[in-house]
Amino acid sequence: MSEIFMTYGTMITPLGNSTEANFDAMLKNKSGVKFIDNSGFNQENWPLGRISSLPSEERYNTLLKRACHNLIEVHGRDLFSNKQTLVIISSTKADINALPKDTFASTRTILKEELELKNKIVVISNACISGVIAINTAADYLNHSDYEKVVVIGIDALSDFIVYGFQSLFALSNEPSKPFDKNRKGICIGEACGVVILSKEKINDAFHVNYLGGSSSNDANHISGPSRTGEGLFRSVNKTMNRATITSDQIDFISAHGTGTNYNDEMESIAFDRLGLINTPLNSLKGYFGHTLGAAGLIEVISTMKMMEHNILLKSIGFEETGTTRAINVLKESKEQEVTTILKTASGFGGGNASLLLKKCP
Amino acid sequence: MKLVASIYISPKGVFLNNELQFSLTEENWKKEIYSKLEIDYSKFHKMDALSKMAFLSTETLSNAVNTNKYDDNGMVLLFANASSSQDTDLKYINSYEVKGSPSPSLFVYTLPNILTGELAIRHKWYGENCFYIEEKFDAEFYLEQINFYFSKGAKACLCGWVNSFDGKEECFEFLIENEGNDNKELIKEELIKLYNQ
Repeated sequence: MSEIFMTYGTMITPLGNSTEANFDAMLKNKSGVKFIDNSGFNQENWPLGRISSLPSEERYNTLLKRACHNLIEVHGRDLFSNKQTLVIISSTKADINALPKDTFASTRTILKEELELKNKIVVISNACISGVIAINTAADYLNHSDYEKVVVIGIDALSDFIVYGFQSLFALSNEPSKPFDKNRKGICIGEACGVVILSKEKINDAFHVNYLGGSSSNDANHISGPSRTGEGLFRSVNKTMNRATITSDQIDFISAHGTGTNYNDEMESIAFDRLGLINTPLNSLKGYFGHTLGAAGLIEVISTMKMMEHNILLKSIGFEETGTTRAINVLKESKEQEVTTILKTASGFGGGNASLLLKKCP
Repeated sequence: MKLVASIYISPKGVFLNNELQFSLTEENWKKEIYSKLEIDYSKFHKMDALSKMAFLSTETLSNAVNTNKYDDNGMVLLFANASSSQDTDLKYINSYEVKGSPSPSLFVYTLPNILTGELAIRHKWYGENCFYIEEKFDAEFYLEQINFYFSKGAKACLCGWVNSFDGKEECFEFLIENEGNDNKELIKEELIKLYNQ
């Protein structure tokens, strides 16, 4: 297998309209999660990661167009209109408000028009692990096809559909979420778009990492609750470490999934303990952005690459006191530290778990 | 690689390797298959149409060929469709727009990959899963993805094209094994033929 590089595409969240703006805000420990009036089914004011500049109609389509504009501004048109560039999109609900019309139709139209794509668009919709699977699939294409570059876009927008759904499951937190904390109450939903570019060669002078390997695994246990033993996550990380020929002691940092629900965070702590990663520093970035579903894997990988670039580990916003049975090393404060190799994990509905390993380029 | 078996189900009937196993007459055709297969699996009744179809297809396939001979990480599930979970999405929207409150039991099925979760639970398959949204059935795309997973050590890929939208329901599944040296182009042609018949 040949060397695979990855660099920043763009990142749009409540904290900013570019990768840099987002990271600047994160360094100041800002959170994009705010109480939104009447966002609940019974007019509750849920805390959500809402991008205030998006219009109330067409949020998804506007966000996707904005991301395309950013990509062209940063990378130029040729990268995207090239025959040897493939685009993979990760989204759980896409333009859900288009129903009863096709919810994924606008995605293809916008991307084809804005980026002048020459190839088929690969769409992955696998709940909250979509983003990590999409990056893993991008690496597969680089390893086994003629594509030189693969652009991975993760995107989901806020909708009543999603907020009411998580509300109906009693999974929403009535305060900004506190992943892994003793007093965590649940999820804050967010919206975002994150884009990375994987390639066979470095594409510019910006910071790049090497993609080392990745995998997914199903819990084979429950469709909407995580395994009590962390089985799928345990298997996925083991598979990923084997593929990357990396052992647990070589991992400097974990960008965990950490939604802020009791069951999910507990499950992750058990899996990391079983994997020999109980002392490895980790955070959940859900305190900064909320849970952005199909975008989560992407914006969390981008943020973690920024941490690698600047050798700083950002604290897990909302975490104060250990709230899982296994005392994993959740970062209470940000700290400067050399970060060479990182593990990204994700878990989601359908029993899915996915992971990948990245290493700073020498 | 080797094409082991295929299954197509729709209100027309159940076709294993393109041969009619039985036709269907009842309006609740998925329940009819469930009864004919003499399965006792209470989770089935809670599933949405996509999960039910994938479940029934996989049961039929597992009756015909041994789908549990691989190690429990070895079976990869690669599913796709054109309409995501839009059928269930609309039912769920109806629960809060018309019926008074958002239904959690419908909401959990508003993700297409829930069906691969159902299959994993039923068959104790811990392997890799991926769900793609494709404009139409594309045999070449499946073979491309299968090649990725075989090169990463998968023993078999259970692939599916399962749609439920606007009253039209169908599920086409096929099992491809890593062992064997069948010509990829011939498998592709065979899959196109099987799906279109």
